[in-house]
Amino acid sequence: MEHKQPSLLTRLKHKIRGSGDVNTKRVQRRLALKRTLTDKLPKIIFCLFATGYLWMLLIPFPHLGRTTYIDENALQPSQVNTYWDWADVHIADQYLGLLEQIRDGNYTSKERAEWLNMEFLKLGLTSSTQSYTFLSPVTGVNGTNAYAILPSARHSGTEAMVISASWLSRVDEGAGTVNIRGVSFVIALARFLKRYSYWAKDIIFVVSDGYLDGMQAWLGAYHGIQQKGLEREPLQHSSGVIWTALNIDYPGHSFSNLGIFFEGINGRLPNQDLINSLERIARYTAGVPVTLYDHIDPRENSLVNVEYAWVPRFLYSNPIIKAYIIRARNILRQLKYQATGRGSGVHGLFHQHRIDAITIFGLPAQGPHGFHAIGKTVESTLRTMNNLLERLHASFFFYIMAERGWFLKIGHYLPSAILISVAMMFQGLRKWVDAGWIEVDGTEKSDPSRVWVRRTRPVLPVLAIMILTHMSGLVLFVSLSSTWLSTNTYWLAYPFLVLFAAGIYVLFSKQTFARPNEAPLSLTLKALNLCFASTVISIIAVLNFSLSASLAIILGIPLSVSSSKGSTLSRLVRYLTYTYLSIGWRLHAPALAKQLLWNWHVLGVWLAPFVCIVYVPIVMQAGISCIID
Amino acid sequence: MLLPSFLHLLLCLVGLLGVAHASNANDKRVEDFFERNESPTSSHTNNWAVLVCSSRYWFNYRHMANALGMYRTVKRLGIPDSNIILMLADDASCNQRNKFPGSVYAHPDRQLDLYGDNIEVDYRGYEVTVENLIRVLTGRMDPSVPRSKRLLTDERSNIFVYLTGHGGNEFLKFQDKEEISAFDLADAFEQMHQKKRYNEILFMADTCQANTLFSQFYSPNILATGSSGLGENSYSHTNDNDIGVAVIDAYTHFVLEYMENINKTSDNSLQDLFSTVATKKLGSNPGVRTDLFGRPLAKTRITDFFGNVAQVEVLPPTGHLQTSANDEEDSYLASSDMDNKQPSLPHNLTSEQSLPPSDAPWWSSLSLLIQDWGKTRAWVAVGSLGLCLAWTLSS
Amino acid sequence: MLERLNTKQSSSLASSTLPNLPLTLLALGSLKIWIALTDVYDALKRSQELSSPMSSYSQLQEGIYLFEHGINPYSGGSVRHSPLLLSLFTTLFPKSRRAASVFWALSDVLGAWILVQIWRARQNVKGGWRDTLVAASYLLNPYLFLPSLALSTSTLENTLILATILLACRGRAAPSLLLLAFSTHLSLNSLVILIPVVLLLLSDPHSHLASPQPSKATLKRIGALIGTFVFYIFVLGSISTLVVNNLSWIPQTWGATLTLPDLQPNTGLWWYFFTEMFDHFRPFFLMVFTTHLLIYVAPISIKFQYDPLYATFILLGILGTFKPYATLSDPGLFFSMIAIFPEIYSYLRHPIVTALLHLHAGLLMPLFNHIWLSQGTGNANFFYATTLVFACANAAGLVDCIWAGMRLAIGQSGDKFEVVQE
Repeated sequence: MEHKQPSLLTRLKHKIRGSGDVNTKRVQRRLALKRTLTDKLPKIIFCLFATGYLWMLLIPFPHLGRTTYIDENALQPSQVNTYWDWADVHIADQYLGLLEQIRDGNYTSKERAEWLNMEFLKLGLTSSTQSYTFLSPVTGVNGTNAYAILPSARHSGTEAMVISASWLSRVDEGAGTVNIRGVSFVIALARFLKRYSYWAKDIIFVVSDGYLDGMQAWLGAYHGIQQKGLEREPLQHSSGVIWTALNIDYPGHSFSNLGIFFEGINGRLPNQDLINSLERIARYTAGVPVTLYDHIDPRENSLVNVEYAWVPRFLYSNPIIKAYIIRARNILRQLKYQATGRGSGVHGLFHQHRIDAITIFGLPAQGPHGFHAIGKTVESTLRTMNNLLERLHASFFFYIMAERGWFLKIGHYLPSAILISVAMMFQGLRKWVDAGWIEVDGTEKSDPSRVWVRRTRPVLPVLAIMILTHMSGLVLFVSLSSTWLSTNTYWLAYPFLVLFAAGIYVLFSKQTFARPNEAPLSLTLKALNLCFASTVISIIAVLNFSLSASLAIILGIPLSVSSSKGSTLSRLVRYLTYTYLSIGWRLHAPALAKQLLWNWHVLGVWLAPFVCIVYVPIVMQAGISCIID
Repeated sequence: MLLPSFLHLLLCLVGLLGVAHASNANDKRVEDFFERNESPTSSHTNNWAVLVCSSRYWFNYRHMANALGMYRTVKRLGIPDSNIILMLADDASCNQRNKFPGSVYAHPDRQLDLYGDNIEVDYRGYEVTVENLIRVLTGRMDPSVPRSKRLLTDERSNIFVYLTGHGGNEFLKFQDKEEISAFDLADAFEQMHQKKRYNEILFMADTCQANTLFSQFYSPNILATGSSGLGENSYSHTNDNDIGVAVIDAYTHFVLEYMENINKTSDNSLQDLFSTVATKKLGSNPGVRTDLFGRPLAKTRITDFFGNVAQVEVLPPTGHLQTSANDEEDSYLASSDMDNKQPSLPHNLTSEQSLPPSDAPWWSSLSLLIQDWGKTRAWVAVGSLGLCLAWTLSS
Repeated sequence: MLERLNTKQSSSLASSTLPNLPLTLLALGSLKIWIALTDVYDALKRSQELSSPMSSYSQLQEGIYLFEHGINPYSGGSVRHSPLLLSLFTTLFPKSRRAASVFWALSDVLGAWILVQIWRARQNVKGGWRDTLVAASYLLNPYLFLPSLALSTSTLENTLILATILLACRGRAAPSLLLLAFSTHLSLNSLVILIPVVLLLLSDPHSHLASPQPSKATLKRIGALIGTFVFYIFVLGSISTLVVNNLSWIPQTWGATLTLPDLQPNTGLWWYFFTEMFDHFRPFFLMVFTTHLLIYVAPISIKFQYDPLYATFILLGILGTFKPYATLSDPGLFFSMIAIFPEIYSYLRHPIVTALLHLHAGLLMPLFNHIWLSQGTGNANFFYATTLVFACANAAGLVDCIWAGMRLAIGQSGDKFEVVQE
């Protein structure tokens, strides 16, 4: 009896595969899978979009992420006695007095730099100045930097660290507030550090002119990088490879907290060990509360425990919602700095040369901290940086700082943008399949049901359109950044943009490419446009998550809903909406546009060309797919 | 040659038999005889120490300090520099970051400079490798290695082996580059045993999971101790806030603290040392392995290993032994002299000088040829390429 | 790039609107020369995706410099170019950078012209509007365009291989095998296409994908042609030895291909694997990787014996995916050659997937290289991951072409049946 019973394995196989021809089964299975996928695809796409956007909303959630920690063994933060004392504070105050005279004395930046140079020379340091001029088509700037080098007493000077202060503070983004205590502190610190012989790296003190421009010129010269539109003197003195840099920004009379600014040019972040070391040192060595940016945590300081008008009181009293709001504020700030690519201060310029740098910002307040606290912090941080044996590499380079001592790893935030990008990719592929097939009446009399037949897709014309839009984006960029348009005649922007939009409209709307048995251009264009936009979002995500997330928010849904159906008027309206989405920023925020261009010309922030050559054309393609047949 | 070694063996056997008898403790009289003067004695005649700090970099200052602390102690107790092999993977004293150049301190009060002014580092920096440690232990040395870098022990030597650095389960890291495993160490000790390079060994390790390092030992007469068990970390003891790093590890600190009260005449046993250290707050559980060791710990004096306190045996002047020992010594010296002479300078020079004459004409002729004919050859090559192509195309 | 696969669908773009071949070559060639004469070379010369140690222009220059100063270029470890190339560049070919840029652009134009000739030979036509598309697919292919701007010698190798194939299409055994021997001297991997080229010499280049039949080539004739090839290899080897004056060029050129001494990152799959490997496994895995390249020759040559041109094309694709020291130009040649096989387009299963994979890989590779080596926030794994994506993209194209080439024989499927792969 028993041997006639099929084995368990065979029965299982039968159950899974069924009986009959294996190939038929396989084909059926495959077809069923395809059908299910095709039927469910809209739902899948919806789920992907929903999860992606929801994930973005969850990023500030207090349960996501973890506490920070020091990863590099060599750093040994906050393990030294500090010797910066009240006598040094007194010296800093004296320098402050001199600098105040200079600030009020109508000195030119050349004279100012010379004075700083003299002060450094009096200390016995190797010191010099460097003049520069930026010939930007937007606004040219010039100035003179002063810098000094304290060579390592017992090392060959192949490595260096930088203490810098820009003449203008970050308080109003370089509008005029002088970083006066920052500069006087740097000189006093140079005088103080000279006493010690345990530096394993040269220490370079830089007082850069202007806000960002001076340091850009100095760093370019230090690393021997030629920059178009920059005339600068070469540096007379040089040192080794710079590994880390601290930028001091202390404009007010006293400060309540030390704020940390860390975002660099083009969205690069410094190694997190640097931030974490400084945070621990400030807290344990100097006893100064540290905060992100200039945000004072309302939970720590009741004075700033302001309630947002739009948040109901009972919600705000909930600790989780309170924490969410506080974190969201920090994260949005990071999003802003990263996505614009400008970074959050002078330290950001170091990042383009692979130097990990942050700005320490003394939040202006009536007290209680001053030179004493910042001196102890910087002295101890320098000892920690001095301990480094190789570049900072152990900790994270990809993170979101949610609040002081709390961060999100890349795996906690990256999927949000990637999910949206995947949804767009699926949508694009679906349109691609739609373009390749058409349902027609059955040809056979006996079988009147409708059947699917293949049709060709006009790929080459669509590619030509896409290349053309990107080319016109390039033209847009070149013309926007030309001196004539950007400086003199701002009102010209309107007719120019109308011309741009109208030109593209005229170019494409009247064209009929449609041929029998060929998919409509609009459908194919939409498919490829979505695929390309999705690619751009997912690729940018690693380089600059904030920019990628912004693109995912701006492009995700709008590109997915473009269509060429409806009356001519409604299509025109849709086209104009897309046009507005693509270049509307030019009308609404001319100042922003101007700054983006300045960032590109002076600092090398690639957001402006990216917007013109990638973003605008992508949205325009969606617009074109509405007016084209 | 055979006879002296046979006699030697006999002597050892007699000694061993005596000890074995005593521990069997049947014969009260014999026991009394052996314990008449003092506690049971080690039969060694000389003391050696191998002190290894296997990690480099400034933040591992404490490992350098550990090894130097041990160095100071064994030297204070009488082991001369010639009998100490000190391996330091880095030079903390001369590090640019050292606020006190030329000094290494193991305590924040900085009373005692461990680097002092009389220190002899035998292997330093990148010389501290697994290979060199094993060569030192087993004595397999290149003939050119000077005597000061050799462990010239014999079968009557007591050796103190101290390792510190970053370790893990059954391994110890050397310079972030390589590891020595517990098996390597065990095999090295077995080889020493077979080559009669020791009488007894005290093995001490202050690393994370140190006790795993001696888990594989299988050779006799090894007493092993370590700072921490499997899965445990060994912690540092204290920071110096001017130097800016931890200056010593807890286990070593308490061992050294205890050792400060020991002098050459001290009778304290290793049991005293181990039980004292075990009561301290280490954050880990130090371990002792005694199964390979023949003597009871309570009756093994610390100075058997840490000091140069050895039994002096006055042998009756039976001509045979005397001359044989001398012969051995002489022959050894002679051989090592020969070893030293082997790669002596003149020899090397001649070999180097002999090379160029055979080489130079060949090179010069070649380069001359290239200089003169290089372009021509290139043209000939291109010509023949062209010919080939023309020929193939026309065919 | 794969979008171009679908060019057939737009075939009704009137032939009159497209310029004829010489005009296209002239226009695209001058565009290329114009771009090449800008400073773009300086921006691209260090790009590891565009030139490998085996094909880098700066290393060639170093070789020329050493050679002209009477120093054996192969006594060091930096020069890995064939002595034949050295002799050509010290005598006939231009040495200045800008002249070289023009020379490279002209080599590309020549390659495009040859590709069009191969296309004509295969389709047995005298010309037509598709000539332009074929030429454009070679001249505008970014995978070929950029290495040519970076002056990678792989551009010259590609032209040589195309010339070999064209001569083989025309049945010119001797010059074809001589050129193949020459490209084998430049890059040992070209050996892989020897068998299909020999088969091509013994049959015709026309498409037989739709009607498979056993090859008429006899072993004797194959043997004779391989013998000729070996003879040319030997002759060229002798010339190389004459140039260098000794045999030191062999370990530095061919040996480097086989033993992978230089582990600079590139677009291939070898470098990362061998940086991670323990030294005692190296010889074994070198053997495995090299044999792996050769394994495909027999099955592809046997399967596509009725259409050796197609077999050559497939093997070039395999080379582009798996060769040591791969750069973008290796798969580039494969993808441009797709233009001459329009009959397979409608049987390709997933051209859009291949195209999107290439789009991702092509953008990610320079980006991750930058993140790793310039910006310092990433590490080698980033770049390695993108080379994996790139390998997937290449493999997707390759597998699809193999499938389409074989699927073609069955013909268009109706509604009632479906072809499955066992």
